[in-house]
Amino acid sequence: MNSTPVPGNPGDREPIPSSSPPAVSRRAGVGLRQRIWQTIPYAPALVPAAIVIAIALTLVSASGFHNFGWGFFGLTFNSNLNQFGMLVFIVGSFLTAVPALFLSMAIGLGIAIASTTYLPPFLAKILDPFVDLLAGIPSVVYGIWAFIVIAPIFGTLINPWAVAHLAFIPGFGAHTSQPVSPTTAGTGLPISIFVLTLMALPITTLLIRDALRSIPRDLWESGLALGATRWEVVRRVSLRYGSRGIWSAAFLGFGRAIGETVAVAMVIGAATRLPVNVYDSSFTMASFMFETLDAAYGNSVYLAALAELALVLLAITFAVNLLGRRLVSHIYAEEVPGL
Amino acid sequence: MATAVGSAAPLEASEDLRRGETWSIRWRTGFDRWIGFLLPLLFLVAIVPILDVVYYISSKAVPTLTWGVLTSTGDYQLHDALGVPIESTFLFVLLATVIAVVLGLFGGVATAEFLPERAAGWVRMSANLLAGMPSVIVGYFGYFAFCLYFGWGLSFIAGVFTLSFFMTPYIFRTADLAFSSVPRPIREAAYGSGARPTQYILRIGTPIAFPQILTGVFLAMAIGVGETAPIVLTVQPGLLVPPTLTSPATYLTALIWTGFSQPPSVALTIAFQAAFLIIVVVLVLNIAVRIIAARYRKRLEGLYQ
Repeated sequence: MNSTPVPGNPGDREPIPSSSPPAVSRRAGVGLRQRIWQTIPYAPALVPAAIVIAIALTLVSASGFHNFGWGFFGLTFNSNLNQFGMLVFIVGSFLTAVPALFLSMAIGLGIAIASTTYLPPFLAKILDPFVDLLAGIPSVVYGIWAFIVIAPIFGTLINPWAVAHLAFIPGFGAHTSQPVSPTTAGTGLPISIFVLTLMALPITTLLIRDALRSIPRDLWESGLALGATRWEVVRRVSLRYGSRGIWSAAFLGFGRAIGETVAVAMVIGAATRLPVNVYDSSFTMASFMFETLDAAYGNSVYLAALAELALVLLAITFAVNLLGRRLVSHIYAEEVPGL
Repeated sequence: MATAVGSAAPLEASEDLRRGETWSIRWRTGFDRWIGFLLPLLFLVAIVPILDVVYYISSKAVPTLTWGVLTSTGDYQLHDALGVPIESTFLFVLLATVIAVVLGLFGGVATAEFLPERAAGWVRMSANLLAGMPSVIVGYFGYFAFCLYFGWGLSFIAGVFTLSFFMTPYIFRTADLAFSSVPRPIREAAYGSGARPTQYILRIGTPIAFPQILTGVFLAMAIGVGETAPIVLTVQPGLLVPPTLTSPATYLTALIWTGFSQPPSVALTIAFQAAFLIIVVVLVLNIAVRIIAARYRKRLEGLYQ
């Protein structure tokens, strides 16, 4: 129906349907009314962008451009004195998300290599969905499980052991203001890292698996033909070939870990000060925002501070997600629930 | 070394060389074999927690979960009665899904069918950003926009809209993907025989893309059922199935959030039961998605023949 190719429309998707409305509207003598009519099919496509912009604008207006100065990045948080130093929570977020990211990347790499290289295909087909199902379990269910089942294990076994044996590392010893005794509930940074590792694991594993699968067969086989073992081909060829996908896994996994809200809020122990050692309670940005919105009700300065913290978190997740998605060519990390 | 083999080298040297080679080969192949044995064990890191979550929650919830508990509409703060929360959750998810389908489905179709590639890339990026957005931020947006600015207060309808905004990108993405993956020959045949875009979308595209869109809706529902922050931040806990749009309401995940740290009590029992119900719903939806997706893939392959 339309033989002229549309300029600026490369790619293998055919231009026929995408070009038909503008091709009509570009014709001379088309009235404004018809032109408006022509744009209607495009309008719903703007929904996701509109929601993103609406969210950002709402948070900006909720912040009321309230200027906290550098105190916003201060360390003293006391809502009664209107001191809103949010650095505590930013630090808490990174203290949990970064170790969780490293752990989940390491485990994800191992699982992805095992599933693409070492396991027989039928076994990989059975085992892979388990990792994907991890993404399907709601975070609040993880939270109650971690709080009741896992936290006591950390409190009575892992943390005391680490205090006894790793105390020579700065930050790993007991602290006078926060002695680790076997009676503690075990909530705090370690179990938050544990939960976040589990929650970031599906997306990192999935993306690394995709990256490793994308390696061309010839490269794989020529590696083997040169006498390399499978491990050597994976390490020297596959990991390099798929490095973009692996970086993208790291970024998106970090985005997931830093934005996780409810499960972390249940196990991190809620402390509005810097942790004194690695077993201490803390707060992440997301969990702090989640737990304190009630307390801020009616206090406009408090609400503004929370909205600005939300903007900080929004900026971080946006940056991380943009970087991560830019690195891989496929549009969605699909085929798995919610990734 | 290579010259040593060709020339009249002493016998020991060449044997040394060979021994070195076999040692290195043995080490390399051995390492390969061992790592091939050890790496799959990492699957346990994923499998053990998921089995333990399901086992533990079931072992706590199933013994106390009776038909009477599921249906009794009493006060859930005093008795073990889940009728009201279940019905409220159902209403929440139903309404939010309807709104999300309206928002996401048309958007996805328009992106796949009408937008030029560049613009579609931007729109998809924004959908990805929305899907990657922390739930607490969506909750804050709902609180400020719906509860405060729109003046709806902490109400049922604010929760519904917040939840639907959270679910929209998933439906959008599957609709987009489904319409983009309609086999090219079929599109060309439709347009080539003079179909208008509406005709193509309604009569050709939708029947082919429908199963995948359905998986998207199911996924969005599974995500919506399990989401906590958007509801807790925008809805006031209520004891009734919301009689009006602006009344307080309750949600299964919100019950877990309020009950998880309680000493053994009605709240804790209900928290476990709610967690169990959510796991069941999520698993059923996920399995349905997998079955539909597998069939759909087969059908798509069939379409190419």
